[in-house]
Order: sequence, then structure tokens, then C-alpha cells
Amino acid sequence: MAWFLLHFSLIAAISCRETLLLVAHNLTILSSSFSSIAQNVDSVASTVLGQNLASSNPVRRTLLTYLHVTGIERGYGYFAPNVPGSYKLIFELHYPDGTVEYAIPEVGSAAGELRLTGLLDEIGRTRHDKLREYLVKMLARATWREHPNATTIRAVFGSLRLPTIDEFEQGAKQSYDFLYAYDFSLRHESSESETR
Amino acid sequence: MNHPNPKLAESFRERVTRFLFAPESDEWLARFRIGLGLQVLLYTFSLRNDWNYLLAATNPGLIGRSLSEALLFSESPLVPRLGWVTGLGARVGLDERTALSVVWWCLAFAGGMLLLGLFSRSSALLAWFVHLCAAKSGGFVTYGVDNFMTIGLFYLIFCPLPDRCSLDWRIRTSLPKSRELLGFWRRVLQLHLCLIYFFSGLTKSLGSGWWDGSNIWRALISPPFNVVPPEILVRWRYIFPIAGISVCLLEIGYPILIWLKKTRLIWLVCILAMHIGIGLAMGMYLFALIMIILNVAAFGPHLGSEQDAGITLQHKEIS
Repeated sequence: MAWFLLHFSLIAAISCRETLLLVAHNLTILSSSFSSIAQNVDSVASTVLGQNLASSNPVRRTLLTYLHVTGIERGYGYFAPNVPGSYKLIFELHYPDGTVEYAIPEVGSAAGELRLTGLLDEIGRTRHDKLREYLVKMLARATWREHPNATTIRAVFGSLRLPTIDEFEQGAKQSYDFLYAYDFSLRHESSESETR
Repeated sequence: MNHPNPKLAESFRERVTRFLFAPESDEWLARFRIGLGLQVLLYTFSLRNDWNYLLAATNPGLIGRSLSEALLFSESPLVPRLGWVTGLGARVGLDERTALSVVWWCLAFAGGMLLLGLFSRSSALLAWFVHLCAAKSGGFVTYGVDNFMTIGLFYLIFCPLPDRCSLDWRIRTSLPKSRELLGFWRRVLQLHLCLIYFFSGLTKSLGSGWWDGSNIWRALISPPFNVVPPEILVRWRYIFPIAGISVCLLEIGYPILIWLKKTRLIWLVCILAMHIGIGLAMGMYLFALIMIILNVAAFGPHLGSEQDAGITLQHKEIS
């Protein structure tokens, strides 16, 4: 019974926290006055989940281990509160003879495609520039293996703009907004980035 | 300190216990085990071509799993990961590629064994562990289906296996299982699903796009979920607001209406229809399947009579 109570309290706390974060960041239809209330309640949920403890704290580590092994470490707000935009990464491959080719990250199955989309979403959403650059660099490396003769690669990362139904009926198509670009050189494995 | 009304407290405790440990047949468990076995098998085969590419630490990996494993380690060093398995493989002379292939075969084997019901608990444990390793090490390339599989397999390990439909039951002399324990684990699954749908519905309801249907449109035209051409979708534009509101109501109403006898079947059918729709219209077959499995196991109607199940268990007990 104790396990039952603890287990379901954790599921409820994580789900509440995820919902509160959406409200706190003004991502919902609720007025901004709810934002500060949500932030206060969120701090309570964070305490329950041991988020305020030091990362090396054994209680926090035990709790996180439990959450991961039971599969309850995240909430259930799929496609919520609104369906997020998706992202696209295009590689511009430059060859010694001046030729330029274009490629996108590829996988070998539809199931892999869904996972790749999740990865691009992660790159698009992260606020950590270093993480974004690292992930793009790793994807560029994978593409380089397929095109070993390329000397430099420019990775262009953009967000996909989806037309509304009305716009679509008027002939509008999907378009991309430029977000970031990174230049990778094989010789130095270094990168330079530029952002919008 | 005494409770002001001991009778009331006792009655509440009894009611909770009666609710949580309501006797059940093992019919739901058979569905759960078979469903999860099928899910594990389809999961492994769907990733056959990309397994090494997605999960290799270095060459020829997509992004390498080193970063996700390092992040995981910083959270907790005890969460299972593929690095453990490949490290063990290296000690016996297996390179990473071979070790990952062995992991893939282990998962497929565990899925097959679960489907048949052979060494059910050990197979559930193996499937949970290997899948968890893959899901955690591939942190950046995982999505909802991995969480739901972990949840399902974790519960399955503790369920009173084997069930009557398993080969374990037929081949080996199994002791009859406690019907109260069967009831408890079904309740756990039921209550977990209620929380999942409630919070999923609640967060959707907080977005404007679900009330005017624009989120349905966006979800259906966004790559790689754009299975149906937008030229066809646009003909159904007037249905989108109804569909969006229906999804919110179905999910928020689930924790109440799935329990009422009069609405249980219709709610279950609607939820299953929603997941079939998601699977077909968005190409999320594995996600749809795991949700269908969890729902059918948790709230699916008894196909055999309750009395029959009791007699079978009793008969086994006597023999």
C-alpha cells in the first residue's frame, strides 16, 4: 500500500508539474495572472520530486532512478497545449572542385524517422547553444561518412512554418524560417555558427 | 491519537482495500502479456535497420549515445544503459556492433517468449531491462512509445504470472494465482491510465488549438506525420473542431466515465478508435498499439465468464 501511494503520488506530482510549467510560461489560454500562482505551486511540486536537492544527493538520485526504471519520469502532455512546430536540418556539402550538394539526415525506416523528428525537435527547442551545436555536429559527422569527399559542410537549421487551413486553400505551402547555421570543416573539425 | 469516528475510518479502509484488491480472473493478464510481447517484437523489428545506427556510441552512429548516457549518469548512475552491456561485451571480446546485435536479438527473443508465455516472468524482466537500456541510452531519439513500454513491462514483471493462456501454465505445474493480486495489478494499470488521460486531456484543453480544430490540422500536416495528403484533409475541415473538442472531452472524461458501467464500453471503444485513428492517419503505429494494449488489458470486457475463470483456477488448485 505504501508503494502504491508513493508511486501514484509521483505520477501525479510529475504530471501536475508539467501542466504548471505550461501555465507558468504563459503557453496556455489562461490569463497571465495564473502564471505567478503556477510558479508558486510548481516550487512545491519540485520539492516533492527532490528537484531542489543537490544533484549528488542520494535521495534525489534514488528518486530519479525509480522514475526512470518505472517509465514515469515525464508527464503526458503529448501534442499539448498546442501541436508544436517541427524543424528541418539541411546540409550543404562543399567539394574541392567547387561542387555543392544538399543532404538531410536520414535513417533507414519509418520508425527511425519518427525518432529523428524527435531529435530535431530537441535541437530546435533546447536553450543550450552548446548542446544544439554538439547535436548538429554529430549529425553532420554522420552525413560526412556518407559523403567522405566533401571538405566543408554548412548545416542550416530551420523551423517549419505550417499554413493554416485558410492559407492552404489560398495556395500557401509549408515554408522554413532560418534559425541557425553552422560551418564544419573536416580538417579542423571546428565549427563556426551564425544565428538569425 | 484515536480517529473521531473509528467506524467510518474502518469502513473507508475496507472500501479502499476492497477496491484495490477486487478479485479478478487472469484473462486481462493474458491480454497484457500477449500484447506486450507483440509490441516488443514489432518494436525490435521496426528498428532492425536503424538499431546500430541509432544506438552506437561512435561510428557508425547517428549522434552517438555517449552524451545521453553521460547526462543519464549525472542524474543517476544506477539507471540501466547500453554502455553496461557493450562494456560487458568488450570484456569477452565482442566489439560494439556485435554487442548491439546481441542486445537486439535478446529483445526480440524476450518479445517472442512473452508472446508465447514461456518463462513469462523472466522474459518480462529481460524485455524490460533490454528495452530500458535502449530507451535510456538513446535518450535523444526516444518518444512516448518508449515510456509506455517501460511502464507496461515494469508492471508485467510484478503481475502474478503465468496466466492460463501461457505455455508456462500448460507445460509446467503452476500454482494458482491469487485473484486479489490479479485484481490489484489490474487496478494499478487502470488508475495509471486514468492519470495519463486526465493530464493529457487537461494540458490539451489549455491550448486554444484543440478547441478550434487547428491542432488536428497541424498534427496531420506536420512531417513525418503527414500520411494523408492535405488536399484530402482540407475537405474535412469542418470536422476538425469537433474532433479536437472530442479528444479533449474523451481524455478528461476518461477517469470518471470509464468506471461507470453504462459508459465504460462506449468510452473504451471511442478511446480505441482515437488511437487507431492516430495510428493510421499519423503513421504512429507503435504508439497506437501500446495504448490499445494498455486499454484493452485494463478495461477490456471479460470475454469468458467470470464463473468459468473461477472454476478453472479452483480446479487447478485441487489438482
